[in-house]
Amino acid sequence: MKRLHMKIMPRLVAALWLLIGLTSGNAWAVIDGLTGANFTLTAKAGYIATPDGNSVLMWGYANGAGLMQYPGPTLIVNQGASVTITLNNTLAVPVSIVFPGQQGVTTSGGTPGVLTAEAAPGGSVTYTFTAARAGTYLYHSGTRPDLQTEMGLVGALIVRPTAADPLHQAYEHANTHFDREYLFLLTEMDKTVHEQVEFGQMNSVDMTKYHPTLWFINGRNGPDTLAEASVPWMPHQPYNTLPRMHPGEKLLMRVIGAGRDLHPFHHHGNHALLIARDGRLLESTPGAGPDLASADFTVKVVPGETYDAIFEWTGKGLGWDIYGTGPDYAHNCTDGNGDSFDDATSEYCPDHGKPLPTSLPNQLDLTFGGMWTGSPYLGLMGALPPGQGGMNPSAGFTYMWHSHTEKELTNDDLFPGGMMSMLIIEAPGVPIP
Amino acid sequence: MTIIRIHPAIAALTASLCLGVSTAQAEVFVQCPGDTNGDAVIDTPDPNHPNAVCKHLTGGDGFVTMADGRPLYMFGFSDVTGLAPTAVMSAGDLAANFPAPTLSFKEGDEVYLTLTNVGMAMRPDLFDPHSVHFHGFPQAAPVYDGVPDSSISINMGASLSYYYNIVEPGTYMYHCHVEATEHMQMGMLGNLYVHPRQNGTAYTYQGKAYTTFVYNDGDGSTGYDVEYPIQIGSFDHNFHDASQAVQPLPFADMRDTYPMLNGRGYPDTINPNALPAPADNGGKVSQPVSSLITATAGQKILLRISNLNVTRFHTLSLLGLPMKVVGSGARLLRGPDGKDLYYATGSVTLGGGESVDVLVDTTGAAPGRYFLYTSNLQLLSNNVEDFGGMMTEIVIN
Repeated sequence: MKRLHMKIMPRLVAALWLLIGLTSGNAWAVIDGLTGANFTLTAKAGYIATPDGNSVLMWGYANGAGLMQYPGPTLIVNQGASVTITLNNTLAVPVSIVFPGQQGVTTSGGTPGVLTAEAAPGGSVTYTFTAARAGTYLYHSGTRPDLQTEMGLVGALIVRPTAADPLHQAYEHANTHFDREYLFLLTEMDKTVHEQVEFGQMNSVDMTKYHPTLWFINGRNGPDTLAEASVPWMPHQPYNTLPRMHPGEKLLMRVIGAGRDLHPFHHHGNHALLIARDGRLLESTPGAGPDLASADFTVKVVPGETYDAIFEWTGKGLGWDIYGTGPDYAHNCTDGNGDSFDDATSEYCPDHGKPLPTSLPNQLDLTFGGMWTGSPYLGLMGALPPGQGGMNPSAGFTYMWHSHTEKELTNDDLFPGGMMSMLIIEAPGVPIP
Repeated sequence: MTIIRIHPAIAALTASLCLGVSTAQAEVFVQCPGDTNGDAVIDTPDPNHPNAVCKHLTGGDGFVTMADGRPLYMFGFSDVTGLAPTAVMSAGDLAANFPAPTLSFKEGDEVYLTLTNVGMAMRPDLFDPHSVHFHGFPQAAPVYDGVPDSSISINMGASLSYYYNIVEPGTYMYHCHVEATEHMQMGMLGNLYVHPRQNGTAYTYQGKAYTTFVYNDGDGSTGYDVEYPIQIGSFDHNFHDASQAVQPLPFADMRDTYPMLNGRGYPDTINPNALPAPADNGGKVSQPVSSLITATAGQKILLRISNLNVTRFHTLSLLGLPMKVVGSGARLLRGPDGKDLYYATGSVTLGGGESVDVLVDTTGAAPGRYFLYTSNLQLLSNNVEDFGGMMTEIVIN
């Protein structure tokens, strides 16, 4: 597929070059969203951009009077809070919101609907519930949801636990501690549906013929997933997906199956410990902590389900020194506390000083990835031919995190793209905002 | 810790030196400690690498035969371990296997895996590199992970050696990650698993003695008598035909028409022998892996089930015998504090890139044939033939 591949590459290059500017923007550190307990969302129409050069009509939840956005604002609330969400409707059809996983949702105003009270065109409705349990959840339209969720009326809800450090703990139990967290809201799209709505053929939509050709993480297709959050050329897709961490840290993956298909979400680099499903800690008894957690290299993402998994990486046991050996690569591995890792860098000391076991082929025999640094070592650049590399300015180790239904790594018949992102393990000392 | 960064001038000098001596590369080059003649067989064990294990694969193209007789063009790997470097290019030509050669290692091995790209004989317009992605390898580093965006991939006529220090047992899988949707649909997929250190130690579990185990369980609860890797895969013949005919590839309309286990549809799955070589391969066998499972009543069967198809989830059901899942994603199913998370089931559901370790206890089972089949029943088909597809048999003697 040389020709199509070459067509998409310039966009990939453009998106990845944004990494050069990654010293700014605290949007990368935590999950973007709205915090508090009272929210006003507005159902609106707008167009999103897809990396194949297309734009697609969407309906989405806007923050107050803001722009339609896909997905809707990530609502971040505290456990125990009484959450009030007022939905205003600017669309020509009634809309609503349901909150799977929340109990005791009450409504005021609006008009009766099948699943919940709805906001009529031009009207509004208010939902109230107590965020009783910490965890990762979603919300979506409860009005003709097969169509309206496809159109974009979907978003994430995060409930922070009652804990000493709720910004670094997923649930009340201390064993759910994390250093960094990232959201992975997975959706797919059949653009024919959107075209039918756009051209006034909404009631001709036949979901039995559903044929997705676009796949998203947090409302963007790869490689747009890697661009910075809130970039001006994607005003309706403010959320990016570019997890970054240092060796030895714990990264919490909050994964949501927000579409209608299953997706095997494969996180390269290491296993992750699945600690919760649907906002419920995998524990044998209340308060036990995630003692029923298990590690895997793929998250089986089922529609409507959410997952919390903790990912760690140190390079332990690779059998060679990830910082290089010899006088050019002098460094120490100091294990003062007896855990086999350097106390500051988390280098695995038993592998310290072991040389890279193979020699790498001559450059002319190789094809180089844009994130390949020319060096096998973490945080170090090596020699590259002119024009190669350059998309990994801090020389991190990079790993594809993606749907392993590889068909979904395409954007409307063009490879690569789709449901993919990259994790960057940054060398110790590289700032991660 | 101090990291000394390479001075730009040194880097530039290194680059120019490398480029300066780069006129005579592009050759078959195996890296294997203790191998003196480049055939990836250890001749004199290297005392510094007593646990070294070497393999040599080629990446290229070839043909396979579907269960309804249709030949399909494919990309794939073949095993050239033991061949002299001068014999590798011709041996790898049109030698793609489906599934890729099974790789079986044991915990503690130091694996040196060399991949030589022999090019695509049927597609001289392509100059695709290839890679080996050891799917699920824990604590991976990009240099040996085979992801083209993050790493290096090997061009035609040359070799790249991967190194894996094997520290975690379990059922993994491997595939080429270059232009992944295309190269994986085209067939560069294979079984890969790791035996635990505990093997060879005797444990008695529920009155039976075992010396082979799925994991280091410490109690024999993952003991088994016979093991079979079962890899779910499927091909879209329209995609393969378009590739062979140098036509645009149907990514969006990809729809697999040949559901398979270990590279064959039923009833080819139960053929105990290699399938005959396709005519287009010049006599080279491309589907050597049978999925016929045989055991004696009372034995425990380990099914190492993985899924590397690129289009959908699949459910495998077993009719008449119990399944117990003891591992998933190349990890023993136990909680962080050791709680047993094994579960009994009648079926397992896997997306692409997932694996499970299933024990089948045949105690008390009547001799006969038992079916392991997809309960996505429309996939019991070989394209338009409506009997076949993703199914095989367990024969209890």
